[in-house]
Amino acid sequence: MADAAPLDTTIKVVTPENIAFEYQLAGPFRRLPAYVLDVFVYSAALAVVVMVGLYLGFLTGSVLALSVYGFLGLLVWFVLGWFYGALCETYFNGRTIGKWICGLRVISVDGRPLSGMQATIRNLLRVADLAPPAALGQFDSEIAPVMAVPTALIGLLSVILTPRMQRLGDLAAGTMVVVDEKSWRLPVAKVDDLRVAALATYVPGDYRVTPTMARTLAAYAERRAYLTPARRREVARHLTDPLVDRFEFRPDIDPDLLMYALYYQTFLAADNAAPPDLGALAAFSPLRKDMDRPVAEPPAAAPPVAQATPMASAANPEHSAASPEQLAARPEQGDVR
Amino acid sequence: MNVATLVEKRRAQWAELEMLCDGTGSPEATARFAALYRAACADLALASAYQLPPGTVTYLHRLVGRAHSRLYRSHRFDPMTWFDVIFVTAPRQIFADPCVRIATLLFFALFSLSAYLAYNETAFPDYAQDIVGTAALEQMEASFEPGLNGNLSHYIGMAGFYIKHNTSIGLQCFAYGILLIPCVFILCYNAVALGASFGYMIREDTPGGETFLEFVTAHGPFELTAIALSAGAGLRLGMGLFRTEGRTRIASLKANAVQAVPIMVAAAILFFLAAFTEGFISPSPLYYPFKAGWAILSSGLLMFYFVVLGFPRQEPS
Repeated sequence: MADAAPLDTTIKVVTPENIAFEYQLAGPFRRLPAYVLDVFVYSAALAVVVMVGLYLGFLTGSVLALSVYGFLGLLVWFVLGWFYGALCETYFNGRTIGKWICGLRVISVDGRPLSGMQATIRNLLRVADLAPPAALGQFDSEIAPVMAVPTALIGLLSVILTPRMQRLGDLAAGTMVVVDEKSWRLPVAKVDDLRVAALATYVPGDYRVTPTMARTLAAYAERRAYLTPARRREVARHLTDPLVDRFEFRPDIDPDLLMYALYYQTFLAADNAAPPDLGALAAFSPLRKDMDRPVAEPPAAAPPVAQATPMASAANPEHSAASPEQLAARPEQGDVR
Repeated sequence: MNVATLVEKRRAQWAELEMLCDGTGSPEATARFAALYRAACADLALASAYQLPPGTVTYLHRLVGRAHSRLYRSHRFDPMTWFDVIFVTAPRQIFADPCVRIATLLFFALFSLSAYLAYNETAFPDYAQDIVGTAALEQMEASFEPGLNGNLSHYIGMAGFYIKHNTSIGLQCFAYGILLIPCVFILCYNAVALGASFGYMIREDTPGGETFLEFVTAHGPFELTAIALSAGAGLRLGMGLFRTEGRTRIASLKANAVQAVPIMVAAAILFFLAAFTEGFISPSPLYYPFKAGWAILSSGLLMFYFVVLGFPRQEPS
């Protein structure tokens, strides 16, 4: 990867349609459970073969039939042990059963699905990736060193040291393992706070949101649900302070609200829509020149004041007429969905 | 048009594409899939122009990724290419590959040396016992002493065992080739251990020696060649990391892996042939010249395969 690329686990793939899309790479701790599941699956398949063999043996009592069955069993064992992964990945388009459960997929490094040859190479070389084997009882002379347990240190090192998180088999085959999750959400933040639309009408018409700013606004709108009101203001202030100057808004305007209003203006407001019905909020103005103007008393039938005033309330409660309770009582609206 | 309306408008098509990603539908649906996929690609390409929110862009990346892997399926194994790999690519690769020569030389040199050391009881009295172990040698003597006999069901079971056991060793040797040293170790270990057993059993005074010779004659050519070949394939793989020939290390490794696989396929087939021979012909009380004839025939076939099929030639194009 290029040096300028961010330190990340996403990888860009350019398709024949000349579209670059991103895949998320799967690290060792996503791949290990998938491998363990695969081992379970083919061990279970072998266990079934053995059970059927025992049953047949009891049923027929024929030595010849049993030995033919034993031959087939050994053959199945050999094929499953060495070619389970290659066969699955070829016929299920880069997925074994374990990978399917864990939401992983193997693809070529150029983004195309892997070929049968690649699947064979990467699965045959798994033995080298699982090296060096540690024998159970290596540290205890009482136990005979019978069972060799793979430590997979070679594969782990290789995954850590390569930018595409490839083990040796992946390097030789030219493949990588990516996350292929099915659960997606489509986040479009809904804004149903009346104050946002009201504030958005005061943003000058000649202000154009830059693409970077648009991205920032969308990210902010998506994540603000996870932040406390105080933290939101702290984060938003860095961007809104220059804007408050530029728009000539009063300095005690809520930064969070201004960010949200800009988001609304950029992503949600229709160009030709009628100005929103501001209701009780129509009397308020966020502009600096209107600061000294006495706030018109809302009509008696208006919505509760606590709903209406926070727009003008300050980030610092002591500068503002609004009480801290009103800030705390601000309804959590515009949740990310 | 604002972004929310745009997303809302496109969303139905994205949802449809998402649904088509999950299963194969009618031909009409499949035809529609391509159109929807191109539309989603276009949406992704224009994402920054449309100022789509990052969440939506992430969603589009995933959607296009899934549709892409659905559209471009993997190349499956084609039996026609298998034939080519086994009878055209593999023998030529074996004939031309220096790694195969090195592995074969190393294997047979060590095998012969070890056999000589084990055979020469006066000069090296303890060699075979040190290498193979006294218990293993006694077991071998005991098993070959009574002569060869068996029945069909025993043969079938043993053939299965040899396929699994011996081919696994070969594949392991190949896979460890990428680390080079374990591959060379497995090769040398097998050469030395087999040679020592061989040398010990052909001493004049070893009980069961005659039977042993009769047993190993038939499958020897296939099995010993197969071990050397799988080590050669492994070495080819590992050498790719060092002899890059101007490519990047990883590109060289990939190219060498593609060259190594046909050799390993040939080795695996030889292991299978050896296993069937070892299972059915070797332990049977067949007339000895028949077994010897089989050994000669198999050696001849191997020669034909390596030299006649493998000899480099100009492709008529």
